[in-house]
Amino acid sequence: MLELKALSRYFGGVRALDGLDLTVNEGEIVGLIGPNGSGKSTTVNLIAGLLPLTAGEIVFRKQPLRDVPVHRRLQLGIARTFQNIRLFGQLSVWQNLWVAQNSPEDRSRRGFFSRWLGGQTRGREEIAQLLEFSALGHKQNELAANLSFGEQRRLELARALAARPKLLLLDEPAAGMNAEEIGQLRQRIVDLRAKGITIVLIEHVMELVMGVADRIAVLNFGQKIAEGTPAQVQSDPAVKKAYLGGS
Amino acid sequence: MDFYFGLAQTVGIHTLLGLSAYIVLLTGQVSLAQAAFFAIGAYSAGMLTVLAGWHVVPALGVGSMLGAVTACAVGFPALRVKGLMLVVATLAFGEGVRLFFFNFDYQVAKGGIRVGPLGGEGFRQIRFFQEHGWTTGEVMLFIWVFVIAVMALLWWFDRSRYGAVLRSVGEDEVAAQSVGINLTAVKLSAMTVGGAIAGAGGGLYAHYTTHIEHANFNVLLATFAIAYPIVGGLRTVFGTLAAVIFVQAFLVEGLRFLGDWRNLLFGALIILAMNLRPHGLFGRHGA
Amino acid sequence: MLDFLQTLSDGVLFGATYALIGIGFTLVFGVMHKINMAYAAASVGGAYAGLLVLKAVAVVPAWMVFLGAFLAGGMLGWLVYVTCFHFIPLSSPLAPLMSTVGMLLLIDEVIVHLTAGMPQNYPAMFDDVMLRFGEFTLRGDLLLVFGISVLAMIGLLALLYRSRLGLATRAVAQQPIAAQLCGIRVTRVNALTFVIAGLLGGLAGALIGASVGALSPLLTTPLTVKGLVVTVIGGLGSIPGAIVAGLLVGGFENLFQQFRGVTERDMYVMLLLFAFLVFRPGGLFPAKS
Repeated sequence: MLELKALSRYFGGVRALDGLDLTVNEGEIVGLIGPNGSGKSTTVNLIAGLLPLTAGEIVFRKQPLRDVPVHRRLQLGIARTFQNIRLFGQLSVWQNLWVAQNSPEDRSRRGFFSRWLGGQTRGREEIAQLLEFSALGHKQNELAANLSFGEQRRLELARALAARPKLLLLDEPAAGMNAEEIGQLRQRIVDLRAKGITIVLIEHVMELVMGVADRIAVLNFGQKIAEGTPAQVQSDPAVKKAYLGGS
Repeated sequence: MDFYFGLAQTVGIHTLLGLSAYIVLLTGQVSLAQAAFFAIGAYSAGMLTVLAGWHVVPALGVGSMLGAVTACAVGFPALRVKGLMLVVATLAFGEGVRLFFFNFDYQVAKGGIRVGPLGGEGFRQIRFFQEHGWTTGEVMLFIWVFVIAVMALLWWFDRSRYGAVLRSVGEDEVAAQSVGINLTAVKLSAMTVGGAIAGAGGGLYAHYTTHIEHANFNVLLATFAIAYPIVGGLRTVFGTLAAVIFVQAFLVEGLRFLGDWRNLLFGALIILAMNLRPHGLFGRHGA
Repeated sequence: MLDFLQTLSDGVLFGATYALIGIGFTLVFGVMHKINMAYAAASVGGAYAGLLVLKAVAVVPAWMVFLGAFLAGGMLGWLVYVTCFHFIPLSSPLAPLMSTVGMLLLIDEVIVHLTAGMPQNYPAMFDDVMLRFGEFTLRGDLLLVFGISVLAMIGLLALLYRSRLGLATRAVAQQPIAAQLCGIRVTRVNALTFVIAGLLGGLAGALIGASVGALSPLLTTPLTVKGLVVTVIGGLGSIPGAIVAGLLVGGFENLFQQFRGVTERDMYVMLLLFAFLVFRPGGLFPAKS
C-alpha cells in the first residue's frame, strides 16, 4: 500500500531523515519507534505532505506522491493525527468531524443534486457513528477547546477517520495517557484494523506498540537500524543499545 | 426624521463594508483591500446609471460582480503569501486602485453638460434616487434590504458546513489541509464573496452620497472595513453590525462637536477597544 | 543614458531612507512577528517633533533638528509599544495589528491638525554642495542622507551582533519562550526593539524632510505603503533585505517618476510589489523555514 524508497529530508546540514526504506502492506499495523530526533515525526510529515522531501520516493497505492498537495493526499486516502493535538478549538465536536468529511465519496454526496437526495442525511449518520465509536456522542455540541485531554485525543482520532482513510498515520497517540486510556486506545486501533484500515503507528509507549503492531521499524538519527516483529526488535542488540536501554 | 434616516443609511452601508471584511477575516486573512472593491462597485454602478441610463438595481448587480471578479483576481497572487504579507499586499492594492481613480477620466455629454468621473475632481451628479423621486426613507429601506439579505446569507453560511470550513481554515491551516480542505480554494471563495458584498455596498454608497472621489476610498475607509468585524468580534455577524452602530452612531454623531478631530477619537477608540477586549465586543467562541 | 544614470543614482541615494523605514518594520516583525502599522506615521511624527527644536530656539544647526527627530522617534516608538503591544496578549493576533492601525490614524490626525495640513520647511545640510563628474552630479545633501543612513545601519548591525542586548534580541526573535526561560526579560527586549526602531524611524523622517526640503503632513500613508513594500520585497524579518530593497525601490521610483510622471509613479511601485508577490513571495532574502 505504501512504499518509502530511500526517503530523505535534509534541513540545511541536518539529516532529519536519511535514506529510509519501508514498505507497508494493506491491512498491517506497522510501528515506527526510535529516540527523540530520530526522524519519526519527519517521516509522518513527509508522507502527509507537510514537508517536501529532499530525496527518495513515496509511493501510495502505486501513485508517486512527490508533488501531490496535502489536501489531495487526504482525498487519496491518507489521514493523520497530530502529536500536539490540533483540533479546531472554536468549532464544536460535531463541526470538527463535519469539516473533515472530504473523501471522494463524501464530496460527490455534496454535489449539486445528490445533496438534496439524502446525501446530507448519510453524512450526518456517519458523523453519529464516529461519535459513538469515540464515545463522544454526549458532547457533540461542545466546543472542542472545552473537552478534557482524553476526549480531545479521541476527537482527533475520530476526525482523522471522518475522511474514510485507507492509511492512517498515528503520531504518538498515547502521549499523556494513563494505563486505562492506553488500553482503550489499543482496542480502538485493533477495531480499526478489523475495518480494513492500514495503520502506521509512531509511538514511545512501548506496551502499546509492542502489543498491537505486526511489524516494527526502528529509527535512530534518521536511519533505520532494525525492522521486524515486536519480538525480533525487542531482542535486537542495536535497538537495545540505541533506545530500549540495553546491556 | 430625515436625520435618523440618513444615519440609518450610513450604518447600513458601513455594515456592508464591514461584512465584506468579516467573511474574509473568518479565514484568518486580514484584507485592507475591501475599500478598493467598494470603490470599484461605486464607480461602475455610478457610471452605469449616469452614463448609460441603467436602473439602479442591475447597476448594483454589475458593481457587485465587478467587485467579486477583482477580488478573485487579486486573491490569486495575494493568497500565495503568508497572512501578514496579505495585509501589505491588500494595502498596496487598495492604494493602487485609489490612484487609478485619481487618474481616471471618462466623461460623456448628456443634455448639454459633461458628466462622469473626472480624475481628482471625482464623479459628481450620481442622482438616480433624486431623479426618480425616491424619498430618504425609501432609500434607507432599499439599502437595508441589501444589508439584511447579506446578513441572512452570512448567518446561513455560519450554520452550514461552508461556514465551519471557513472558520477551520482561519483557526489552523495545517490541520485544515490535513483533513483535506483546499486552503486556496476556500480563501479565494471568501475573498470573492467579500468582493461581491463590497461592490454592492460601494454602488449603494455612490448613489446615496451622489458625489464620489478617490479620496473617499483611502486607507481610513479600508481601516473602517476591518475595524468593524474585529471590534465586533468574529463570533457572529451581529458583532459587526453592533460595531458599526457603536462607531457611527455614538462616535461620529454624538461627538460631532469634536469636528475634525473625529478620526483621532476613532483611532483612540480602536486602541482602547483592543486593549480591553482583544477578541472583540462579542468575543470569539463560535458554534 | 546619462539621464538614466543620474535619475537612478539620485533615487538610490534617497532610497536609503526607505531602507531605514523598511528596517524598522522588519525589525519589529523579526522580533515580535507582528507588523507595526503605525511605524511610518511615528517616523513622520518624530521628524515633525524635531522641528519643534527649531521653534524653541530660533536658529539651530540642521543636525540638532535631526537629533531631535531621532530622539522623538524613539519616544514615539515606546509609546506605540505601550499602547499596542504591552497589554494585549500576543495570542490574539488581530488585536495588536488593529491597535497599531488605530495609532496610525491617531498620529496622522495629530500631525495634520498641528500643521494645519501645510508642509513645513525642513532644514538640510550641504544642500548647496554638488560634486560634479562631468555632466553627472552627486548632490551633497543626498550624499549626506545616504551617509547618515549607512552609519545608522552599521550602528544597528553592531548593536544586534556585537552587544548583549542584540544577542538577547536575536534570541527572543528565534525562541521567545526559551529566551524567557534563560532569564531574558522579553518585555524589555520588545520595548527596546520598538524604541530602537523608532529612533531609526525618526531619523529617516528627518532625512526625508531634509532631502526634499519640506516635510508634508500627507506623507504618512504613502510612506507606510512604501515602507511595507520595501519590507516585503526585502523579505519579512531580513535586515539586509530591507536595505537592498529600500535602495531598489528608491531607484525604481525615481525612474518611474522621471519617465512617467509623479501621479503614475506610485502605481508602478505597487506593480513592482505585485511582481514580487507572484514570482518571489519570500522576498529577496526569504526567511529559512
